[in-house]
Amino acid sequence: MKTDQLIDMLARGVEPAERPRWARRMALTIVVGLVVALLLVAIGLGVRPDLMGAGRMPVMMKAMFAAAAAAFILPMAVRLMKPGRPLGWRIGAVLLFVGVCAVATIVALMGEAPEDRMQAWMGGGFPWCVVIVPILAAPTAAGLLWLMRAFAPTRLTLAGAAIGAFSGGVGAMAYAMYCPVDSVAFVTTWYVLAIAMCAALGAVIGARILRW
Amino acid sequence: MADEAHLRALILKGLAGDQAAHRAFLTEAAGLLRAYFRNRLRGSPEDAEDLVQETLVALHTRRDSYDPNYPLTAWMYAIARYRLIDHVRRAKHRTHASLDGLDVGDADPEFEASDAKRDVTTLLDKLPEKQRTAIRLVKLEEKSVREASSLTGLSESDIKISIHRGLKTLMRLMGQEQTT
Repeated sequence: MKTDQLIDMLARGVEPAERPRWARRMALTIVVGLVVALLLVAIGLGVRPDLMGAGRMPVMMKAMFAAAAAAFILPMAVRLMKPGRPLGWRIGAVLLFVGVCAVATIVALMGEAPEDRMQAWMGGGFPWCVVIVPILAAPTAAGLLWLMRAFAPTRLTLAGAAIGAFSGGVGAMAYAMYCPVDSVAFVTTWYVLAIAMCAALGAVIGARILRW
Repeated sequence: MADEAHLRALILKGLAGDQAAHRAFLTEAAGLLRAYFRNRLRGSPEDAEDLVQETLVALHTRRDSYDPNYPLTAWMYAIARYRLIDHVRRAKHRTHASLDGLDVGDADPEFEASDAKRDVTTLLDKLPEKQRTAIRLVKLEEKSVREASSLTGLSESDIKISIHRGLKTLMRLMGQEQTT
């Protein structure tokens, strides 16, 4: 078939294109992903026993921190859904967030007595959030990747990383319901690294799954 | 750029359902894409034409991903570039050939369509039956969606969805087709 014939074929019987209501579908996907992650925490890990008591404030702070991380990544993820739109300040927003976290970690650790610093930074054990947050992020990431396939992403690795990182923020929100460590330096270090882990996984998976 | 405003007006009319405008958009896009791919795949105009066809199907089936607030040419070339990278990746998988001839150069003065290597008609036969029938009736035999619906017993929206899915499948097949 010659190209002219192909064009005839494509153009024949064209109807008004429907405007996909992707903002609504995306919001729905995120809410479902968050709910599934919360259920996973409640069933698999169990929420903190002091969730309704002394732990309420720190849990809220950590959940808000995770939500903020997701919010800083979202504009970039949205941008990468469709072809040919410049990223501009949206990468800067992500870098700004990471930079603020690094500063906050240092400031928080300076405020501790030298002998307490290690405990405040590591949370007194292995930072399991680096492993668990990616698992909790998976439902959201799967939904968003599936949603994004309907569009035409052209920078797959970057798009996958952005979706992964955003989902990591959502997963970390759920993880905060369980996370027993409340030190600021712990959260600004390990939550961010957990989200970075999600970004790396997203980059690898996205580059394969998003191909069209 | 004159191209930009002109093409943008055409695709927006096409998105609103204007068949002639959509046709004109695809025709002009084909010319630009041909120049783009020939510059990058020197010495193999057939491969370039394959990519032109593949990208046209991509532009058509993914036209709802065009955001009117942004330049049309940026959208179009982002898709073209993506198809080119995909093509190179596939070629590398197949033959481990070097990527010579991919460098950007001067515009090729001859922009006539040469024949594509693969034949889209053959690929259409590989589609699932429902998609193939819908495309054949509406896109090749020029029947209306309603006529196609009464001929096949499928609902009108089923016909439309089958066409859309069929064209997406077609683009995927075009990508997989051995072009060596």
